[in-house]
Amino acid sequence: MNAFDWGAIWYAVPYMLQGAVVTLEISILAMVFGTVIGIVCGLVSVSRVGPLRWLVRVYVYFVRGTPALVQLFLVYFALPEIGIYVSAFWGGVIALSFNAGGFIAEIVRAAIGSIEPGQTEAALSIGMTDRQGLLLILLPQSLRQMAPPLTNELITLVKGSSLLSAISIAELTRSAQMIIAERFTPFEIYAALAVFYLIMISALARASEYVEKRLA
Amino acid sequence: MPDAGPAAVPAPLLRVLGLSKIFGDIPVVDRVTLEVATGEIVMVIGPSGAGKSTMLRCINRIETPSEGEIWVAGVNMAGELRDGRLVPDARAVTARKRRLTGMVFQRFNLFTHLSALDNVAIGPRRVLGMPAAAARALALEHLDRMKLSAHVDKRPIQLSGGQQQRVAIARALAMSPQLMLFDEPTSALDPELVGEVLEAIRGLARDGLTMIVVTHEMQFAREVGTRVVFMDGGRIVEDRPSADFFATPRHERAREFLRRIHGGAAPALTAAGPPPG
Ligand SMILES: Nc1ncnc2c1ncn2[C@@H]1O[C@H](COP(=O)(O)OP(=O)(O)O)[C@@H](O)[C@H]1O
Ligand SMILES: [Mg+2]
Repeated sequence: MNAFDWGAIWYAVPYMLQGAVVTLEISILAMVFGTVIGIVCGLVSVSRVGPLRWLVRVYVYFVRGTPALVQLFLVYFALPEIGIYVSAFWGGVIALSFNAGGFIAEIVRAAIGSIEPGQTEAALSIGMTDRQGLLLILLPQSLRQMAPPLTNELITLVKGSSLLSAISIAELTRSAQMIIAERFTPFEIYAALAVFYLIMISALARASEYVEKRLA
Repeated sequence: MPDAGPAAVPAPLLRVLGLSKIFGDIPVVDRVTLEVATGEIVMVIGPSGAGKSTMLRCINRIETPSEGEIWVAGVNMAGELRDGRLVPDARAVTARKRRLTGMVFQRFNLFTHLSALDNVAIGPRRVLGMPAAAARALALEHLDRMKLSAHVDKRPIQLSGGQQQRVAIARALAMSPQLMLFDEPTSALDPELVGEVLEAIRGLARDGLTMIVVTHEMQFAREVGTRVVFMDGGRIVEDRPSADFFATPRHERAREFLRRIHGGAAPALTAAGPPPG
C-alpha cells in the first residue's frame, strides 16, 4: 500500500475551495429557484385549475421518472435548440432548479394535502376564496411539515450538483477530477472531495435544523 | 308587472326547498324543506347519521346540494336565474354569498397557526378588506363579548376546548352574518366546559341573532330554542315550537330519541301517552 500523499491534498485544497465556491453558488441559486418553482407548482397541483394541474403532473412525472443526469443533458442541450443561449453555469442552475422544483412540488402537495379538511372548511365558512384559503391558511400551516423533506431535497440538490462536472462546470467535483488528472492521486483527492461535501452538507443540515426549530 | 305576493308577510331569512344531498346512492339529506324567520332560534336534534351536519353544510354550501334550493336573505345560494334558467355561481361568488351565514364547527377548526386574535381578525382583514387596526379592534370587541380578553394572544393549542369554541364563535360573528349555524358546538367538549359555550350561545340568542343549532343538549334546546326540528334518516320528522315538541313529541322516533337521550327517564312524555315497548 502506498503512503497517504498529504502533499497532494495541500496542493489540491486551494483549487477545491474555488470549486466549492462554485458548487455553493450554483446550489444556492438552484435552491431558491427550485423552491419557488416547487411551491408554485405544488400550489397549482392542489388548486382547482384543471389544465395547469395537468401540466404540473406531467412535469413531476418526468422529473421523477428520469435520471438527473439525463435531465441535465436534456436541459443543457435543449436550451440552444429553443434559442436560449446561456453559459454552462446558468445551464446547470436551470437544470438543477428544474429537477428540484419537481420534487419540491410533490413535497408541497403532500404537506398541504395532509392538513385536516376542517381548516379549509373554516376558511370557506368565513367567506375566503379557494385561493385565500390556500395562501393564508393551508400554506403557512404546511411549512412545518415541509421542512424535513425539503431539507432532504436540498441535500440531494447539493450532491446532485456534482453531476454538473459532466458539462465542464468547474464546480467542486470537476476541480477534483482535474487535479487527479494532473497528479494521479485519485484516492487522496476523492477522500478530500468527500470531506468537502460532508462539511457543506452538515452546514446545510444545521441551518435547516435551526429553521425547523423556529417554525415549531 | 311581476307578482310580488302578499306584502304583509316578510320573506323568511332562510328558505330551504326540497333539499337533498346524495352520497353514492344514499340520500343523506332527503327532500328537506325548512323556513327560518329572522330572530328564530331553531334547534336541530336527531340521532347520529340523521343528516343534520350535512344539511347545515349544504346551507352554507361547504357541501354542494344534489337537489333543491337554498335562499338566504333573498339570495339564491346556488346561482342566478337568467331567462328562467339557473346559471351556477363561480366559486368566488359562492364565497361572497357564504358571508351571509356564519358557521361554528363541532371540532372548532381554529386556524392552528394563528393567535386567537388573528383567528378572529383574519376574516374582516382579508375577506372584508378592513384596515389592520380596524380588524384588530373588531376582533378584540368580539373576543371580549366571548369573555376571552385575557387570551387574545394565545394559540389554539394553548386554549381549553371551551375557550377555543368561543374563539370560533367570535370568528364567525366578526363577519356579521345574518344567520348563524352551529354544528354540535359542545359535543367535542369535556363536560365541565359545555356550560360556558352554551352560556355564550344563550347570550347571542338574547341579542336576537337568528340561529340554527344542532345539539344533543336537550335542556338547552328546550330553554333557548324557539323551534325544534327533529331529523331522522335525512328527513325532517317533526318541526314544531320548542315547548310543544318537548311536551308532546308526536312521532315515535322522536319519543324514542328523547327517551334514549334522557337515559330512560322522559318525564315530558306523559301527555303523548306512555311510550310503547
Ligand atoms: N362526504 C361524505 N361522503 C359519504 N357519506 C357521508 C359524507 N358525509 C356524511 N356522510 C354520511 O351521511 C350520513 C349523515 O351524516 P351527517 O350529516 O354527518 O349526520 P349527523 O350530523 O346527523 O350525525 C352519515 O351516514 C354519514 O356517514
Ligand atoms: Mg353531525
